[in-house]
Amino acid sequence: MHYQGDYYWGYYMPTRSIGSDPMERVVKLASEKAVVIFSLSSCCMCHAVKRLFCGMGVNPTVYELDQDPRGKDLETALMRLLGNSQPLPVVFIGGKLIGAMDRVMASHINGTLVPLLKEAGALWL
Amino acid sequence: MANHRVGETGLTDSGPSSNHHHHHHNIPYAVLHGMNVPQSFMHQEGPAFDFGELEEAIVLQGVKIRNDEAKPPLFTAGRPAATLEMFPSWPMRFQQTPRGSSKSGGESTDSGSGVNTISSKTENQVEPESPISKKTSSLDQQQQVDMASDISRTGTSQNQSAAAKTPQEKRRGSTSEKQLDAKTLRRLAQNREAARKSRLRKKAYVQQLESSRIKLTQLEQDLQRARSQGFFLGGCAGTVGNISSGAAIFDMEYSRWLEDDQRHMSELRTGLNAHLSDSDLRIIVDSYISHYDEIFRLKVAAAKADVFHLITGMWTTPAERFFLWMGGFRPSDLIKMLISQLDPLTEQQVMGIYSLQHSSQQAEEALTQGLEQLQQSLIDTIAGGPVIDGMQQMAVALGKLANLEGFVRQADNLRQQTLHQLSRILTVRQAARCFLMIGEYYGRLRALSSLWASRPLESMMSEDHSCQTTTELQMVQPSQNHFSNF
Repeated sequence: MHYQGDYYWGYYMPTRSIGSDPMERVVKLASEKAVVIFSLSSCCMCHAVKRLFCGMGVNPTVYELDQDPRGKDLETALMRLLGNSQPLPVVFIGGKLIGAMDRVMASHINGTLVPLLKEAGALWL
Repeated sequence: MANHRVGETGLTDSGPSSNHHHHHHNIPYAVLHGMNVPQSFMHQEGPAFDFGELEEAIVLQGVKIRNDEAKPPLFTAGRPAATLEMFPSWPMRFQQTPRGSSKSGGESTDSGSGVNTISSKTENQVEPESPISKKTSSLDQQQQVDMASDISRTGTSQNQSAAAKTPQEKRRGSTSEKQLDAKTLRRLAQNREAARKSRLRKKAYVQQLESSRIKLTQLEQDLQRARSQGFFLGGCAGTVGNISSGAAIFDMEYSRWLEDDQRHMSELRTGLNAHLSDSDLRIIVDSYISHYDEIFRLKVAAAKADVFHLITGMWTTPAERFFLWMGGFRPSDLIKMLISQLDPLTEQQVMGIYSLQHSSQQAEEALTQGLEQLQQSLIDTIAGGPVIDGMQQMAVALGKLANLEGFVRQADNLRQQTLHQLSRILTVRQAARCFLMIGEYYGRLRALSSLWASRPLESMMSEDHSCQTTTELQMVQPSQNHFSNF
């Protein structure tokens, strides 16, 4: 798991993304890495989803929106995307939206998660 | 006059009851205390009782009771006289309707005025339970006492009208009056005192009975309400007062769900035994899956209303609670249980089942770690160093607790997905057998709970008899609900 961002002006910022529309930023960030998780550092369910991927041997890219200066905008954009007042954590695999925790779990149980991970190059067996 | 005074004092304890005092009866004082009462003074005219003549009779102690003309005793001997002291029939009456004292005013001379007043009351309250008094005249002391106690109990059935009051009053004037000696006076005063004390004891006892009765009906109502809420279902939870309404509602829904579960299982059983076609069996299997979908739906609402009720497993039986994981069964445990019994499986099916077990375990582990982080975070909040603002601390803690609902929901989601996946991996017949196995497994676990609760405590039984009663009670209570699942 690694936290994305350049050290710029004294704090971490997502690269190449100054001034863009939040939704665009979301899409861009989601497609840059195989597994992308938008999270809150204090959220326990976010911790659970991170543990799930780590337990599977996957190395997800995590964006802690409470530590991002424009995290609130991203969160709002995700809210609109998911139609949910509590959008975090949310997972993208291979640039595709998987969903919140319940969708991630469902896809893992019904066996669709692992193939997606493999397809995105996040998992080797 | 002496006569009336005797009547007064003697009858203070034995005056006739008024109309509304239904369970006090006219037991002649003489009868109560085993004195001999002359038969002749028991008039034979209708039901009315002649008090005036009795007054005289009390003083005339040497007179024997004659049996021949006596009415047959109402009650047989051998009844306990224990209640006599508690229910002296005479005492209460003198408190009743104060009547005019015109009649007796001139007749009493000797004793204090208090006595006179009392006498006036008793004289005028000739509500007779006279048939009783007549009947007692011929009894020996024990029978009289017995009858006295029984009469107090039987109440107004013996109560006759006070119709004959006037003629009695007239007759009273004609009775002879005797001198009272100091001894008699003292004795009568003592009797009065004893009767007063009995009266008070009786009053206290009756009040105690009344309040106990009210308490009992209240307890019954509570019990009824608790039962209707499925309270005894899991053999669980504390008293009725400790269960929240959301929890109570869910418990009720869950008990109904368990009944449905029985129905579905028997459907599966008959479907399997009848060798239905796959499509027919598929309908039954799908309906069973919907049945489980329903409980998960109910748990969503319950998690909102009372998450602790779910997550502590208070809605389940103790044995189920022992295996509880995040408010329900652990999916990987269920699969482990099923794996050996689902034979024969194709290789693909075996791989599917093991893969399901594996992913379920990973998901369970992730959720458990998330919950552990929540716990640690909560500990940090509540333990929290120098507490500057206690309310703020509590508010933060409450906010963190709110996350519990999410975890229970995710756990239930995992359970639901696991069951759905099972039905996808297996053939229809296999799925039918599988779900029947699941239902029977949890039924047995519930039965284990009640058997455990009602098991005989051998070590205690040999020493203490009372323990035996306890376990017997335990056996009565839970077995009804738990074995109903079968």
